[in-house]
Amino acid sequence: MNDTFKYIIKRILQTIPLLIMISIISFFIIRLSPVDPLAELKLNPSVSPATVERESKRLGLDKPIIVQYGKWAFSFVKGDLGVTSTGEKVSKKLAERIPNTLLLTTLVILLTWLVGVPLGIIAAVKWKTPFDRILTVLTSIGMAIPSFFFAVLLLLFAVKTGWFPIGGLTSPNYSEMSFWGKFCDIAYHLILPVFVLFTISLAGLQRQMRANMLDVLDSDYVKFARAKGLSEFKVVYKHALRNAVNPMITLLGFEFASLLSGAALTEYVFQYPGLGRLILEAVLKSDINLVMASLMMGAVMLVAGNLIADILLILTDPRIRGRA
Amino acid sequence: MLLLCTILCKACLVKDTPAPDNDLKFQTKEQFTQAYIPPKNVTIDGIDYLQSQSPVGKFGGEFVSSTIGEGPKTFNPFNSKDATSATLSGIMYDGLLGTDPISGQPVPKLAKGYKISSDGKTYTIYLRKGIKWSDGKPITADDVVFTWKDIIFGGLGDTSLRDSLYIDDKLPSVKKIDNFTIEFTTPKPYAPFIRSLTQSIAPKHYFEKAVKSGNTAFDTFLSTTTKPENIVSSGAFKLKEYVPAQRVVYERNPNYYEINTNDEKLPYMNKLIYLIVGDLNNEVLKFEAKELDVITLQGSKVARYKTLEPHSDFKLYNLGPTTSTMYLSFNLNNRKNDKGKYYVNPIKQKWFSDINFRTAVDYAVDRKNIVFNIANGIGSPLYTPESLNSIYLNKNLAQYDKDLEKSKELLKKSGFYIKDKKLYDKNGNRVEFDLLTNAGNTEREAIGVMIKQDLEELGMKVNFKPIEFNSLVNKLVSTFDWDMVIMGLTGSPLEPNGAKNVWLSDGRLHMFNMRTPKEGKKGILPWEKELDYLFNQGALATKFEDRKPYYDKYQEIIYTQKPMIYLYSPVIINAIRKKYKNIYPSSLNGLTHNIEEIYIDE
Repeated sequence: MNDTFKYIIKRILQTIPLLIMISIISFFIIRLSPVDPLAELKLNPSVSPATVERESKRLGLDKPIIVQYGKWAFSFVKGDLGVTSTGEKVSKKLAERIPNTLLLTTLVILLTWLVGVPLGIIAAVKWKTPFDRILTVLTSIGMAIPSFFFAVLLLLFAVKTGWFPIGGLTSPNYSEMSFWGKFCDIAYHLILPVFVLFTISLAGLQRQMRANMLDVLDSDYVKFARAKGLSEFKVVYKHALRNAVNPMITLLGFEFASLLSGAALTEYVFQYPGLGRLILEAVLKSDINLVMASLMMGAVMLVAGNLIADILLILTDPRIRGRA
Repeated sequence: MLLLCTILCKACLVKDTPAPDNDLKFQTKEQFTQAYIPPKNVTIDGIDYLQSQSPVGKFGGEFVSSTIGEGPKTFNPFNSKDATSATLSGIMYDGLLGTDPISGQPVPKLAKGYKISSDGKTYTIYLRKGIKWSDGKPITADDVVFTWKDIIFGGLGDTSLRDSLYIDDKLPSVKKIDNFTIEFTTPKPYAPFIRSLTQSIAPKHYFEKAVKSGNTAFDTFLSTTTKPENIVSSGAFKLKEYVPAQRVVYERNPNYYEINTNDEKLPYMNKLIYLIVGDLNNEVLKFEAKELDVITLQGSKVARYKTLEPHSDFKLYNLGPTTSTMYLSFNLNNRKNDKGKYYVNPIKQKWFSDINFRTAVDYAVDRKNIVFNIANGIGSPLYTPESLNSIYLNKNLAQYDKDLEKSKELLKKSGFYIKDKKLYDKNGNRVEFDLLTNAGNTEREAIGVMIKQDLEELGMKVNFKPIEFNSLVNKLVSTFDWDMVIMGLTGSPLEPNGAKNVWLSDGRLHMFNMRTPKEGKKGILPWEKELDYLFNQGALATKFEDRKPYYDKYQEIIYTQKPMIYLYSPVIINAIRKKYKNIYPSSLNGLTHNIEEIYIDE
């Protein structure tokens, strides 16, 4: 266990230079792009040059990029994400949206794993049966449809039939509803976006699980177990599954990273009040603090996801435990 | 899955829209037959109410509108730097004066009346007696003086209003005469001042603390995280709820000062809801799914809605041309930069400074075709810098059609000649230049292609280059290295002085002949000098009738000198559910300017 602990510390220390590099690259790319955050102001006839200058000073644009970066990095290390270009606290803005995005993504991930993993196993066990073939065709389609296109189709469907709301998360009279009313209202609004994300990520997961399982089922020890006369149930669920699940844990790490950023496109189409819309607007307006905060958040989530996956692997697989 | 997709596709296929008929001309007359009667002042039990003169309606219900984008950044009307924040905070805070939806003249709001002294420098404002803020405290002269002296002239929040009021580097002064009378004095007669009195008034007891803590504290005051129940406001509706990225909900302000002819307090509706919608397409979907009650239609959608209208629950209104103007501009700059290099190639300078060349370009542009093809016929050709709904529009300037013969004649007069369908100037230089616009604006990109074709008929070679918006702005206002550009500006239909930065020879947006601050008024052209004079005089005169001739003349100069060739204005078409009554569309104030008078009758 001590070794494991050391390993974790080492991994965390390794991420620090990585994060610094990510932040430098992102910062410079944003600032060196020709997007001038003040262009709109400059083209407004009723705004005086003095105001433009004052704004430029307020946003720190009058200083060299390296100074701007230093300032940002210093306050970031102190835990201060700064303010948006309109003067709101970045942390507050993110905090408004994160729960909504998490609600959507965790729901989707839970659903896909609960459905996708069993489906993958069944498909592998019933390899080359009609059931497996039909499933393969369906998942191919699921993988082939671009999420935004599927989302737009569903939205049009909602308009035509009137069965579903046109995006959003709550109805205008949400605040006056009872607890169960609120619950149902949110569920009603979530159906379509969850359905889109679910069908698309289900396909990938199911195939991954199926492939892993097939690999394992083909290995010698499974053949041996079968030869030994173990029941098929024991062979599949006790011996094969435990080995087939390892790559899935790595995948889970990536899923963790996509918790905050994975649904941006779908969020945008469904006008879902999550991070996606906020960050898209921030990028378009070159709202540096907000963009940087979201990029760093994404990077940290990815690194953390990988770390968590590695730790889980250590816990589940004795072979890796020995090496670490 | 495949099956599901097919079903979805099938369900979504729009039954082909009938071919747009030519009946798109709206019956403007029919719409405006029921003329709007503006509210009147009445005094009941010592309280000066505003009394609506429109038909009495029913109380209750709600109205759902929308705002495109990411929603408000603040609810502070003195710190709103974007249009959405300004609209949404403006709902909560009334100004001393408003704008008449038809004539555009100032009308009483929080003030019951005003008087301008005969020398045009002193404005006496008479406040309504006995009216209250949403928390029940009285609205008095102290609030007005506080708003103007401490917030606006104090330079807090958005300073553009203050900046526009500097007259010879001096600001107007404001003085409390008694509890309900305030006096403003401008250093010189300055006509645009009366318009600025439409600025919201802040409750002193609510804003005072933030104002005293200085600029940074003020910037965060009334931010979007403020608890709605704490906000003290004066508008017909007060904030009830703000849900980030979803909606802003207002409820009726029981202390509002407007009543109907039965002496019942307005507004009629209980709630006013603005949905925060990410883009235009989603707005259309929401309107069609009946989640929205009103929508502004894009030109391409109008034909479809027009055919849907007879068997639907909405009605279309034509609000007339917008305040935005699309233009084609030449770079008349003939100066050198600090490195001694010309901003514009001297060969091209000669063409652009030639009035015959500019006129030839103007006559080659087919405005009607642009309106027809780009705005789907929902627009009007434009020939002057004032927008078509401007009260200062010079109506004497005649419209004209494309006339290639005239263009060719003018070019010939200046020594240009055509060889092998190519145009050369008298020194034998091929006429070739760049035409810029901002990439991503499909409307301007399409106009660019059409103008390029029009000008190629004259033998000119036009390199049409849409470039990124910010780089374009940079070229226009700082590096000046461009030949021709297609851009748009939004003006005020009420106050031409707002565009002085564009027309004054040292203005910050005098794009067609921009001078650096160091250059001052260097190389000023005779007609630029005249524009300077007209804009200075126009601002000093106080009466509309006295000002009009100055602004008529300025439009005439642009019309004849053509530094900027105006192309067209889109027309605004709104659709609103039929159940809403007391709708009096105004091209100046929009469809729901009288939101407190609108009621629901199913």
